[in-house]
Amino acid sequence: MPQKNHYAFVIDVARCIDCRACLVACSVENNVPMDHTRIWVHDQGIQGNWPYLSHAFVPYNCMHCEHPPCTEVCVSGATYKDKVNGLVLVDQEACIGCGYCVAACPYGVRYIDQKRGVVDKCNACLQRLEVDLEPACVATCVGKSRLFGDLNDPTSEVSIALRNAKSVTNLDYENGETDTDPNIYYLNLPETESILSSDPFGQVAQTSLPRDPHYTIAEQGWKNVAIPLMAAAMGATFLVQAIFFTKQLLEGEKEFDE
Amino acid sequence: MSHKNIPLPERQRLRQKMYKKHNLANILTHWFNVFSWLLLLSTGIAIISSPRLGISPLWMQEAFRNIFGGDANLIRFHYTIGFIWIFVILFNVLVGFRKYFVPFAAKRLLLDRDDIEWMKTKPLQMMGFMKDKELPPQDAYNAGQKIYSYFVVLCTFGIMVTGPVMVFKSLFPPIVKQIAQPIHFVCVFTIVAWLFIHVYMGAVFPEEKEAFFSMFSGKVSAWYARAHHEKWYNEKLKEEMEWEDKIEQEVLQSQHPKEESSGAD
Amino acid sequence: MPKTVISRREFLKMGGAAASVFAVGQFIPPPVARAARQAGSLDDNGNGYICTLCEMCVWRCGVRAKVDEGRVVKLEGNPEHPHSHGKLCARGQSGLMNTYDPDRVLTPLIRVGKRGEGKFRQASWDEALDMVAENMLKIKSTYGPEAMVFSSTHNLSQPLFENLLYGFGSPNYGTQRSLCFNAMVTAFLLTYGIEEPARNYDNVQYILLVGRNLTEAISTSETTEMIDAMARGAKLTYLDPRFTKTASKATEWMPVRPGTDLAFLLAMINVIAIEELGNCEFVKEFTIGCDLLPTHYAEYTPEWAEGKCGIPADTIRRIAREFAAAKPNALAHPGWRTSNFINSFQTERAIAILNAMVGNVFEVDGCLIAESPEAGGIALGAPPQPPYPRVSASRLDGVPWKYPLVPLKLGVFQELRDAVLTGQPYQAHGWFIARQNPVLALPDLQRTLEAFNKMDFIVTVDIIMNDTGWFSDVVLPEASYLERYDPLVPMKDYIFIRQPVIEPQGEAKSALMIYKELGTRLGLAEFFQYKDEEDYLNQQLAPLGYSLEELRLHGHIKVPMEAKSEEITFNTPSGKVEVYSETLANAGFPPLPTWEEPPQPKAGEFYLLTGKVGQHTQMGTQNNQLLHKYQDEPRLWMAPEAAQTLGLEDWDTVEVTSPVGSVKVELQVTPAIRSDCVYLTPGFGHLSMALRTAYGVGASDSQLHVTYTDPISGGQALSQTFVSVKKAG
Repeated sequence: MPQKNHYAFVIDVARCIDCRACLVACSVENNVPMDHTRIWVHDQGIQGNWPYLSHAFVPYNCMHCEHPPCTEVCVSGATYKDKVNGLVLVDQEACIGCGYCVAACPYGVRYIDQKRGVVDKCNACLQRLEVDLEPACVATCVGKSRLFGDLNDPTSEVSIALRNAKSVTNLDYENGETDTDPNIYYLNLPETESILSSDPFGQVAQTSLPRDPHYTIAEQGWKNVAIPLMAAAMGATFLVQAIFFTKQLLEGEKEFDE
Repeated sequence: MSHKNIPLPERQRLRQKMYKKHNLANILTHWFNVFSWLLLLSTGIAIISSPRLGISPLWMQEAFRNIFGGDANLIRFHYTIGFIWIFVILFNVLVGFRKYFVPFAAKRLLLDRDDIEWMKTKPLQMMGFMKDKELPPQDAYNAGQKIYSYFVVLCTFGIMVTGPVMVFKSLFPPIVKQIAQPIHFVCVFTIVAWLFIHVYMGAVFPEEKEAFFSMFSGKVSAWYARAHHEKWYNEKLKEEMEWEDKIEQEVLQSQHPKEESSGAD
Repeated sequence: MPKTVISRREFLKMGGAAASVFAVGQFIPPPVARAARQAGSLDDNGNGYICTLCEMCVWRCGVRAKVDEGRVVKLEGNPEHPHSHGKLCARGQSGLMNTYDPDRVLTPLIRVGKRGEGKFRQASWDEALDMVAENMLKIKSTYGPEAMVFSSTHNLSQPLFENLLYGFGSPNYGTQRSLCFNAMVTAFLLTYGIEEPARNYDNVQYILLVGRNLTEAISTSETTEMIDAMARGAKLTYLDPRFTKTASKATEWMPVRPGTDLAFLLAMINVIAIEELGNCEFVKEFTIGCDLLPTHYAEYTPEWAEGKCGIPADTIRRIAREFAAAKPNALAHPGWRTSNFINSFQTERAIAILNAMVGNVFEVDGCLIAESPEAGGIALGAPPQPPYPRVSASRLDGVPWKYPLVPLKLGVFQELRDAVLTGQPYQAHGWFIARQNPVLALPDLQRTLEAFNKMDFIVTVDIIMNDTGWFSDVVLPEASYLERYDPLVPMKDYIFIRQPVIEPQGEAKSALMIYKELGTRLGLAEFFQYKDEEDYLNQQLAPLGYSLEELRLHGHIKVPMEAKSEEITFNTPSGKVEVYSETLANAGFPPLPTWEEPPQPKAGEFYLLTGKVGQHTQMGTQNNQLLHKYQDEPRLWMAPEAAQTLGLEDWDTVEVTSPVGSVKVELQVTPAIRSDCVYLTPGFGHLSMALRTAYGVGASDSQLHVTYTDPISGGQALSQTFVSVKKAG
């Protein structure tokens, strides 16, 4: 059955004035802890030489990728791409907050809510979508920069915006193994060297986005060492007992043997 | 003393005489452990559904989630059984820890020189070599069983520590949970690997038939004991003889009470 | 990076005993207001939306407060409110934290230590109000009612504040207006006969912004409309010595020398007048004095202007032609906070005239509307009240005897403060402050505190212990905007209500009730003839025949209005747009907008610029934890060349010195500013240690500002302060 919704954001960078209403709205709507944020407005910095200056602001949040690297590493499947609405979600009752997914996201949009011990991130305000409201950031965007909707619906705001747009970009990450195909489409994104991750709290070192997915040592150890090792051990012991069992079957049993 | 020299009537007597090897607590705990492991292993394997780390087929992962009603409920079931298992096992071990477990471990589970010899010889013999070499006598648990017990203790400890870490998720920083998961996995499957041998040797291998039934009745025959656990058998003999002596003394005393006090004035 | 919130323990160390006597805001939000429940907006589970009005800035967007099981959990813009169109800016969205701020003052407080120590004790309303009334009456009987100063920044309860002020008999009314828009209002009053024309972006094709950084000085709907207009293809030319976010969106940015916007505009007028590019018909019919421009403005050529403002003459000429070519859909924005230079009044007059020349001032569809945005035709009722007592004393702020043209309702607040200090023409002895923070808002903070020292008695009404409260004798807790009713104010043909979403926390009360209870004790009960807030609102609605329940349920009522006549009139003495103002001439001032040379800093000194950021409102929001979370660290902006010359680097702690004071602040080296300017975001550097999130963050420009007053409009000239900067020792 094909996916019912293909939700996506369309963000017109020309309209973003970095007012940060979206950041506050999201924090309130989703009870985001004071020392974390689910969404960002990246400040690209002032470009050019006096007086020919330019300055752009790039909002971003979870890209709800078509092929998210984050869901590949979740041990229990607590984070997943929803089969119906296509959003990348976290079931926080199943999540144990280990953080494999946080490291694996090329956009750095996940964080660990240590108070609850789980991973949190943008969920496109699914609780609002369910009552026919737009995500909080979209609803309050003063510049009308943020749009959200279903690309499977040709009459949605996002479909119309993409059709009429002169230039559309997205921050796709591709490395041969994975191709994220993010679902935030940017209009009028200026060509600059890179988008930097901006962490207003100084807790994460700035890197250029998207970045390579990072696989934690524990997860790599598990995949590359522990699994083969255990497979080998079990194979060995299984083989041993199989040999003896076969021998036993061939020799037959005697009641009065010794 | 090789058992090959024992004449037939003695052999027949020995085969019918039973000694108690496992008490009720041991038996119940063992089967509780088996049952718990069946539930924990199956649900645990089903929980691991990451494309990079998953080890079970997709249909199994889905089926378990359907049965339990989703990821979170499957996990909750797994750790609920887990906590019950931890409680029962620890209860068994820790109640009377100094009185029972420590002496038991000290007496029965430590490797000695005979064990080392046995470890060098028995595997070869099982494959059909060195049939003539006499195996050194073993105690209640042979060297293989002792070594297996080390792995069980270590890995069980590992499981019991890493499991709750993942459940009490707000108490631990992410790095601890990142490491706990593969450790949990390695401990579980180390035991699973050993289980192939344990189950085979205990339940299938013809020589150890009596061992299997002893996990229900608690008893093994003197013949089996003498053949496989000679040092323990000797201990049991000694115990029996001392008991017989003791009963003789008691009976004599009850029959001729006054006579016993004569002698020393 | 924003600093972390000061922990309660750290605060206790700093503030001594002060902390222990504060009532910390209840962390469990109180239940939804009984009134809201009764209004029918909530279902049986206590879920639903309650409509009210934001108060995080003066734009007062309509808000729909989401209530979940009896608690406010989210604020949304009210799609039906013209100022919101369904959106709220960062401050509006953060309104919850304003109400649930742990530093709320929730009981009346009476000072026990010295002023400024921050030592207060909790008191009952009766005790506090009795004490306030006693002190005010003592001042009245000893020195006369004029010895009591009343100041408040305009808000919805202003009519009742004015009842206190005028009922008491004092003429001394301090509003924020002279720190903000005196230049604009006075200029437009004299030119068009209205205080502030409304703007309409529906069809605009060319926007000229002189300052008015709309993307950071956010007025939600207007900001959206401007961006929409630009997306449709409207051009924006923006004059500002800083490359602000508005500059980044503008089609063209003119980095004019501070104080010389006037030259740019005069040259534009010169080009349009001489080349006859304006809407000549409109000009002939509706203006007086336009014909004088070609001769009187002959010297104001673009070449002349280039020498003043630094923008190339060809550019000025081209902009003038482009602006005029877009007529009548060309808009020269009137601006808002225009308290920059003494010549700002002339700048505003030039803007007013530019608009007249392109004839955009129509009542329908025009981009400038010759009527006040808030002018509604709706006549609300009001409780009866007697006429105010006659006031014989002159105003301390020099209106009108020193400032003949300043409208009475604007006043000159900084002059009032100076008069308190000098005791001329008479000494004031008491100060009543409501919803205002003059300690941080008035220029020359040291002077304001000295003025406070002259006071026998200071009382502040506020929701939080801001800097003015910190230096007061009594602090009365007002309920926050989510917790109270305020009087109804019409907007066009709508009436929107501010109603409580939750019961006031602690013992906070609405201003309506505080003023009534105080007024009654002052013998002014006749000016407060309402039983409670709902009674007041009912009396307002009575003439219209609507019920309060109806208004509460939907949040607004649309009142059918008669169609307005299409006739265009201007409320000036001549009935026309007064390019040439007889009124100005009679008062001895230039009747046409005239060049006035602004002062310049000496070599090595900088213009100290001020401005707005989208995440804060003046001096009032810095303690809001949600805004603090996402704010930029308030540092001093300086251009790279200037920093290099001084041997300074980004993030250095520098000492900024002006003729009146000195502050220490961190440096932000940025290309977004002229090299002869520095900029500091106002509203930081709070003195009140009770603002645990805001205290210790940034520095206050009010410690640096020198008081300069424009003799015509009374506006403060905030950018005429020049500072030197050096690395802090």
